[in-house]
Amino acid sequence: MPRPLVDPNSVFLNIPYDEEFDKLYLAYVVGLYQLGLVPFLASGIPGGERRLDRVLTLIRNCRYLIHDLSRVELNVASPSTPRFNMPLELGMTIAWAKLYPKRHTWFVWESEKYRMQHSISDLNGADPYIHEGTVTGIFSELQSAFVFRDAPPVGEMMKAYDLIERKIGRILATTGTPSIYSATFFKELCFISLDAVGISRFKRLQENQGVNLQWNLKGSKRLRIADADF
Amino acid sequence: MPRPIHITTPIEPLESRIKRLRIPKARQKEWLAIMREPDSDSPATQEIKLISRISAFRPGENLQRAATTR
Repeated sequence: MPRPLVDPNSVFLNIPYDEEFDKLYLAYVVGLYQLGLVPFLASGIPGGERRLDRVLTLIRNCRYLIHDLSRVELNVASPSTPRFNMPLELGMTIAWAKLYPKRHTWFVWESEKYRMQHSISDLNGADPYIHEGTVTGIFSELQSAFVFRDAPPVGEMMKAYDLIERKIGRILATTGTPSIYSATFFKELCFISLDAVGISRFKRLQENQGVNLQWNLKGSKRLRIADADF
Repeated sequence: MPRPIHITTPIEPLESRIKRLRIPKARQKEWLAIMREPDSDSPATQEIKLISRISAFRPGENLQRAATTR
């Protein structure tokens, strides 16, 4: 079987899809775009393909794989069962990465220190990133995990996040999208995240250079110089 | 602490990243217009609207967990 191509800046996000994770989900997507990376979600791939097959496709094609185990807990809805999807996908990732170690790097993210060492002791030695369940925690740990030459400070990432969070309700109402985890909304979120990246970096450029510039997503001549930095 | 990954691969330009999303131009304009709208609501009204869609609590602070889908 020919080896699939790996997108060098791609990141597979293995995260829970529920309301309580909404803020962290937005933070992951916004933060990854701020670092020049491209997030992918299994639910972000439209189509009738079985979800497991979509997950496998992403694991094979993404260079980096983030597995957030902070919400592996008993489901409130009956029957009360543990949520095994995230650990299952982590297991698949580890097996695949063992076959192709130079092509994939996986990470485990948690909200509490030392919990992973108790819940999955097989992974002792693989230190997780601890975001403490907060948006700034996500940004801070992303900056620790991915060192990027032109990385914005966490404060700038928060501004981009705040801008998007203020607009989410309006975009959902306009598009009639039922869930922020749907394939349709994920694409919209990617687009507005890119716009927010441009806005926040442009403001930084303005502040640093003291020049009055207008951010235009279409790109002015002046913007094309800055575009190389994005 | 895990070893950080140094991103050295070239970052794709913004415009081509947007193109890859394959979003119709009309939709792009619509969302850009929303992004550029001034925030006319008071902070309190915005907060109320957001709470209905996005949990205002950090995981762990809201003790009543919603039914989950994953």
